[in-house]
Amino acid sequence: MKNSIKVERAIHNITQANLAEIIGVSRQTVNAMELNKYVPSTVLALKISKIFKKPVNEIFFLDSGD
Amino acid sequence: MKSRFLFSHQYKPLGWFLFLIGLILGIVLMLNEYEFPNWEMNVFPLIGENDIFSKPPFEWNSNNISDEISSILIIIGGVLVSFSKTKYEDEYISKIRMESLIWATYVNYGVLILAILFVFDLSFFSVLIYNMFTVLLFFMLRFHYILFKSKRSTINEE
Repeated sequence: MKNSIKVERAIHNITQANLAEIIGVSRQTVNAMELNKYVPSTVLALKISKIFKKPVNEIFFLDSGD
Repeated sequence: MKSRFLFSHQYKPLGWFLFLIGLILGIVLMLNEYEFPNWEMNVFPLIGENDIFSKPPFEWNSNNISDEISSILIIIGGVLVSFSKTKYEDEYISKIRMESLIWATYVNYGVLILAILFVFDLSFFSVLIYNMFTVLLFFMLRFHYILFKSKRSTINEE
């Protein structure tokens, strides 16, 4: 799975640390998601979509390997 | 995120303290052939043999308890260090935790299988002593190494 968290962050001008704080996770988690090393739970994905005011499937998309 | 079966974050420093004290005591004991420090105390064995080398069961008997203290400190300290929450225990860290636990179990038994095949007699008894602590030790090493690596990658990113 891939995601556009980094792009969305840039659009909204939010740092990794800010985003981590808002959604209540560690900075490592935000970083690992942006590097596609970690697939978040549905709860976390929904929280992120709420912050960026976009549906989940506009932020997260399936990869060829999925 | 709710994490079950974990201790609160505040127990982690206490865990490190107990673990290190136990480890130092254990190393001192090992270097002195388990004879120093000699803290004699009366103990009450529940299981034992009835020969001259052993302490028979259900009888008070004198014993150096420094190795018992060292083992218990290492185990309790190690468990607290391993299973206290990190400052921000979230789902990604839980995943690292679980993977490290699986990894540590594999490595522990891998090493034990090698020792079963290639170590014998009294040396094997030493292996069994170390093996009491190695699952915790391998877990602590791997878990903290991965946490450190992901933290460093986060710092580089900003």
